[in-house]
Amino acid sequence: MKKLNTLNLVVASVTAAALMTFAPIPGAGQDKQKGGKGKGGPPGGEQYGPYYAAPAKAGDPVGRTPDGQPDMQGFWTPRFNQAIFEVQDHPTAQPGIGPGKGAIVDPADGRIPYKPEAAAKAKELLSKQIYLEPEAHCYVSGVPHAAYQQFGYQIVQPAGYVLFLTEYAHTYRAVPTDGRPHISPNIKLFRGDSVGKWDGGTLVIDTTNQNGKTWFDMAGNFTTQSIHVVERITPVDTNNINYEAVVDDSTIYTQPWKIAGQLGRHPDQNMELMEFACVEGNQDLVHYTEGVGGKAKEKGALRQ
Amino acid sequence: MRYPNALLVLWIASVPLAAQSYKAPRTPDGKPDLQGIWQVMNTAAVNLEDHIAVLGMPAGRSVIVDPPDGKIPYTPAAAQKQKENFKNRAKADPLNICYIPGVPRVMYLPFPIQFVQTPKYVLMASEFGHTLRTVYMNGTKHPDVALFWIGDSRGHWEGETLVVDVANHLPDTWFDRSGNFHSDALHITERITRTEPDILTYEATLEDPQVFTRPWTIRMLLYRHKEPNFKLLEYECNAYLEDAEKEAR
Repeated sequence: MKKLNTLNLVVASVTAAALMTFAPIPGAGQDKQKGGKGKGGPPGGEQYGPYYAAPAKAGDPVGRTPDGQPDMQGFWTPRFNQAIFEVQDHPTAQPGIGPGKGAIVDPADGRIPYKPEAAAKAKELLSKQIYLEPEAHCYVSGVPHAAYQQFGYQIVQPAGYVLFLTEYAHTYRAVPTDGRPHISPNIKLFRGDSVGKWDGGTLVIDTTNQNGKTWFDMAGNFTTQSIHVVERITPVDTNNINYEAVVDDSTIYTQPWKIAGQLGRHPDQNMELMEFACVEGNQDLVHYTEGVGGKAKEKGALRQ
Repeated sequence: MRYPNALLVLWIASVPLAAQSYKAPRTPDGKPDLQGIWQVMNTAAVNLEDHIAVLGMPAGRSVIVDPPDGKIPYTPAAAQKQKENFKNRAKADPLNICYIPGVPRVMYLPFPIQFVQTPKYVLMASEFGHTLRTVYMNGTKHPDVALFWIGDSRGHWEGETLVVDVANHLPDTWFDRSGNFHSDALHITERITRTEPDILTYEATLEDPQVFTRPWTIRMLLYRHKEPNFKLLEYECNAYLEDAEKEAR
């Protein structure tokens, strides 16, 4: 059998993402995003936005790892409405972003409680999102965006750590649970610095040190270096995990706000994460116009 | 009496690593525990062979233990190609445009690499470009339909040693900054042994009949990071590349 080059697979994914981004989505977009059963994954699943989400199905009681952590190991897909497009409720279609629900449960209106200047900045970024959206540049997603990452992720729990391995851009998040302090505030990272601890059956992850270059979604909802995120991750049974995160940043919000969603265990537990080689396959040159990505065009040319 | 002494030295030098006496602590499932954050202290990322210093590239000794001359056994055409790669390295090195480094290069980049073990997997997470290697330990075979920048790794234990079979390589990666290269016929057998509490001995045998006249073997040490609370940070290469391009305008 002739071997396929993963580059082609990746180009296919990136191209699909680009089509998704640039296809004009009129009012009909909502139906499309709710999707039907069983598309793009094993039977019984639903579409999360355009992405596969495992069916909600009761499981067995949560087990324990050899070092006594509640065992969440395996492959998971997020259920956070259409937060991957926009984290807040977005009843009106925007270019490339259909109307849909976000994942904000507090405040009750489902919207980010921006201060006026920050709201203006988010609006400005939304108007340029096709050029500026960080993931289109293959940047690593920040926290909590990583929790509702498209294509899902794998959780691994060796002693002293919880690791999240995402298929998107082959990224990983290694969260130590050994009680260590945060790194110096002088160091800023795309993924920030996460430290975790188990509070009974809930994993509590505190994340600081983010670099302010990531967004919550594709819609210009930006972050700053002052962001502080506390995630609470609670396995309910072997098939379901409840997730919530409180986001605080007094420089741009009038109050802390909270997102909530669920993770569903992927029915195929023999699955293997594929290599989403983002930089290597990125021929999505629309994102790299002269004004924004510069020589990335040449990078694309190199691969052709 | 000098002759027997010389023989003794030769004999010691050729003792297989697996015969050494250190026995690593075990994971809960009884396997040697290789977990931790490791890093080489050598210049293999510059050049696997003996090399003198040039600008930005320190001198270093060959990590090739077989063949004995410490040189990569290229076919004549491949040797010529490597010379061209070296000359064009500023543009042609895939790492300069932030591509996934491939195996074995990711193992000896000057960046820390974290080993994580579960009964089904050995994970190796490099700080360079958040590169992740998953070594499947469940007896599964290489897929027959895909090539990967990081290859496809399937492993098993032989006593103290993690043996990893790496295939399905894309041909686009290099072994080092000096343009040493391979084709998609590359096949690697890695042998990774915790030979001391804080040292992993890393050995890899590389075969590629399209590029090399015979298999050859590299060997080097990875040292444990023992700084308190040491953790991987980030080297988000493509983001820094974009920043540099913006600054240059």
